[in-house]
Amino acid sequence: MHKEGNKSISHYVFVVFCWIYAAFSLYPLVWMLFYSFKTNQEIFVTNPFGFPWPLHYENYITAWTKYDVPLYFLNSLLVSVGTVAITIFCALLFSYATSRMVWKGRTFTRLFLGLGMFIPVQAIMIPVVKVVQNFHLMGTRWSLIFPYIAINLAFSCMVYYGFFKGIPMELEEAACMDGATIYQTFFMIIEPLVRPATVTLIIYIFLNAWNEFILANVVVGSIPQLKTLPLGVLFFQGEFTTDWGGMGATMVIASFPAIIVYSIFSEQVESAMTIGGAVKG
Amino acid sequence: MKKKIISALACMTVAATSLVGCTGSSAPADTPAPAEAQTETPAAETKTEETKTETTTSGDKVTLSIYTQYADDDTKVPYDYAVEQLKEAYPNVELNLIVQAQDDGQTLKTLAATGQLPDIYQASTDLINTFRESNQIMVLNDVAQSTGFLDKLYDANKDLAYAEDGNIYAFPFSGQEYVLWYYNKALFEENGLEVPKTYDDLLNCIEVFKGKGITPLALFGQEGWNTAAAFDVIATRYATGGIKALDEGSASVTDEGYVEAAKMMEKLVAAGLYQDDATTTNYDQASEKFLSGEAAMFINGQWYIEDATKALGDNVDWMFYPAADETSYEAGKAAFSGGGSASGFAVNPDSENAALAAEVAEFITEKYCEAKVMYRHNPLVALDTGKEPDSEYPAMMKKLSDTLPTITSTTKFTWGLTNSTFNDAIQSESQGLVSGQFTADEFVENVADAQ
Amino acid sequence: MKKYMGNKLAIFLFIVPALAIFIAFDFVPIIQVFAYSFTDWNGLTIPNFTGLENYIELFSDRVFFTSNRNQLIFAIIITVYQMFFATVFAITISDKKMKGRKFLRVAYFIPVILSVTVVCQLWAAILSGDGLLNKLVQLFNSDFKQNWLGDRYKAIYVIAFVNAWQWMGYQFALIVAGIKSIPSDYYEAARIDGCSNVKAHTKITIPLLAETYKFCLIISLTGGIKAFTEMNILTGGGPNKSTFTLTYMMYNAAFKKSDYGYGLAAASIMVLECMLVMLVINFIFRDKDQRKEEEKSRRKRGA
Repeated sequence: MHKEGNKSISHYVFVVFCWIYAAFSLYPLVWMLFYSFKTNQEIFVTNPFGFPWPLHYENYITAWTKYDVPLYFLNSLLVSVGTVAITIFCALLFSYATSRMVWKGRTFTRLFLGLGMFIPVQAIMIPVVKVVQNFHLMGTRWSLIFPYIAINLAFSCMVYYGFFKGIPMELEEAACMDGATIYQTFFMIIEPLVRPATVTLIIYIFLNAWNEFILANVVVGSIPQLKTLPLGVLFFQGEFTTDWGGMGATMVIASFPAIIVYSIFSEQVESAMTIGGAVKG
Repeated sequence: MKKKIISALACMTVAATSLVGCTGSSAPADTPAPAEAQTETPAAETKTEETKTETTTSGDKVTLSIYTQYADDDTKVPYDYAVEQLKEAYPNVELNLIVQAQDDGQTLKTLAATGQLPDIYQASTDLINTFRESNQIMVLNDVAQSTGFLDKLYDANKDLAYAEDGNIYAFPFSGQEYVLWYYNKALFEENGLEVPKTYDDLLNCIEVFKGKGITPLALFGQEGWNTAAAFDVIATRYATGGIKALDEGSASVTDEGYVEAAKMMEKLVAAGLYQDDATTTNYDQASEKFLSGEAAMFINGQWYIEDATKALGDNVDWMFYPAADETSYEAGKAAFSGGGSASGFAVNPDSENAALAAEVAEFITEKYCEAKVMYRHNPLVALDTGKEPDSEYPAMMKKLSDTLPTITSTTKFTWGLTNSTFNDAIQSESQGLVSGQFTADEFVENVADAQ
Repeated sequence: MKKYMGNKLAIFLFIVPALAIFIAFDFVPIIQVFAYSFTDWNGLTIPNFTGLENYIELFSDRVFFTSNRNQLIFAIIITVYQMFFATVFAITISDKKMKGRKFLRVAYFIPVILSVTVVCQLWAAILSGDGLLNKLVQLFNSDFKQNWLGDRYKAIYVIAFVNAWQWMGYQFALIVAGIKSIPSDYYEAARIDGCSNVKAHTKITIPLLAETYKFCLIISLTGGIKAFTEMNILTGGGPNKSTFTLTYMMYNAAFKKSDYGYGLAAASIMVLECMLVMLVINFIFRDKDQRKEEEKSRRKRGA
């Protein structure tokens, strides 16, 4: 009690700062929403930051009529969920094997996979599309899912590696004594302990896949029934001029599902973390 | 606890299998609207094979993919018109539009590299040259003859159709185009300014406008072509060949004229001709500035006449580019910046319906020209369409048409340049000049390296 | 136990799915990138082997040095900014007494959720010549008005800030997750010993999260080296390529100049730089890992 009284002034300054920073982090949401109701003239000259008035809700109508929003949405969802599920599965197993199991060459294997973090998509695009073709995946959603998994794997494995390293070795020893197989140990005991990482990664991978544009444009850009939401902006970008308001509307349509996913999962993060903590404590 | 893990795993497997299901059967059938579209591709594939063997039996639908721009009125109006006309002329042909991305050809090049080129695509000079080497662009000489394309092509545009090797690889729809120096008449009058003829006049205008808080000239310098055009309108006052001569190598940037032009541009930048943040301004920002009267001048192609007239009415006009002195101003009136480019609709020779695609490409090109004349009031198209605009040409267009016969030389837009190393250099180095942080000497030196 | 954790079949089954996908969709393309960097490939035609020509040209390219300088600045700024704020905010919202901590946690993460395009459009509007920032600056001192994104030397710092601002939330989330996994009795023990909050965290949180921090360091440093999208949207690499990075060089050479081989040489150098950074970080952190393992075995022997 006494201590808290001491630090009051600097403490309150700090709290105020935290809230200002938070407000500033939320501002893009408000700005994007305003933006999506404006015309080019308002965006660039007359009213770049204020409340949009009159509301140009026709931007949303244009966005909705220019492309098949529900279909694109469904595609984005399937691709993102597929990417998340498989990436998490592969990364969990791989990181467990490289961080806790004992075998020759595990450090090398781990670093080898880590290479994937450094490759800009633009550089490997042509070879990747060729690989996708060689596996005859063109024209299916797998043509996006597999490259996305590959892109996200390195990162996910690194996150998991850190978490697995922090778990005491005694857990496996005890499980071994109890006669559990290595698979049982992994799925029943170890996997729940890294839930906080899993939930964080689910959000991250989902967002990556959800927002990806470059590869999607090349791989499914010519197949109307497989297009994903980020490709919608193409309908607004001309050679010279861009319909920024319409693009804003498209971005709002594309972002809100992601925000909803996050708000759901951020609750999950909290509960998953307490479960993990309970087991450990 | 255990239940949770198992259910989580079950969720994952369900998700995975449902995905398999979806992709296996191409797409779920419960979305009503796109159901038709979904069956399109496989159906089209089998059908195109049929047409190949039986040679277009009527009634069989053929789907051709087309990669082109479809975003603003200038690209949407012609496309929609062409599609409508196509339905009557080729009832068995359906177009699958792939909207062009503004990505420096990244998408199209990747599609080409992986053998997925669309049947018809809009190709720039750079792409034509690249695809020629890899045989991914069809020679259209015969089709141009048989469809009467060559007969309709204006004489002035003949050179646009042919590539360096004398073949036709693309059907151009734009004719000769020009860089115009637009100005807001009302702003000039309000401030008691004459239209500048010399750079001294221009410097005076800059001072007056800046004093009033008006941007003298709004440049969209984030796009390299606009800064290159800004350099070209000055360069052509000293050496009529402008950037075209540099591109072809018939002149060197170290020649006196170009050095002087670079120095003049440096001086104008220092005086504040362009807005401070010109190099990060995009087209829409700059255009809105000009159209709303926050900027007095603007540099853009003649295709902007329609938009400018719509927004500013009689208050907008274009001027002959200012020059060093009155004599060179008068002499230079006939030398324009800009020009035609060989870009247009090209055909993928590996397409299953290449012959049909070529005919359709030619048809679409004609219709583009018609739509541009009729609805966009732009007579500067590649072909003689015999169509009249749906309303009178804007005053600026009339003035341009009157000037056309006197024009003695043009240069090129950056997308018409053939030396891609030089093209890259002139775009970024001219941007450097606009930023005011690169000197004319640096400009000359670096461009010379790339030439 | 050794046999238990060395189950060959299990190891095989665990690593194969990830490795297979990685090799097919990432590693094979990477090898091709390196191979093509020794050719004059334009993306379409059959490539001719040109030896080290691309690399020699690259090292004499003015933009190559600007790019490397930019990457270094970028990497340092985002690393310092992100790790500092992420740690501070993570510790703050982990304090159960902090009011509104759930709300704050969501708020800090919001920029990560939005696509880079949205965030860059926002900042482009704020930073433009007559944007919000300049208007604010003018209220205090009109002379300090800046051309934030159009400056040959300063623009890169501004772009780095935008990137750092957007992705701070991600490191923040990772550190929060890390703190949650630290058993709370550690902190209770510290409190009983009379440690202040800050001290408890510097003594407990940061050392225990060494792996997480190592990871954060790798992502922000290599993120800086890889940077491309922000430059592409905010400045287009300008003015005159002064905000280029190696990825941007690659993009420009491959797609604007149809000189794929040259572009891939730039990309290869960038990948090598990233690997070097990762190895150096691993080397620095290695000592601690080893020490820990040694301690563990000592403890075991003692027991």
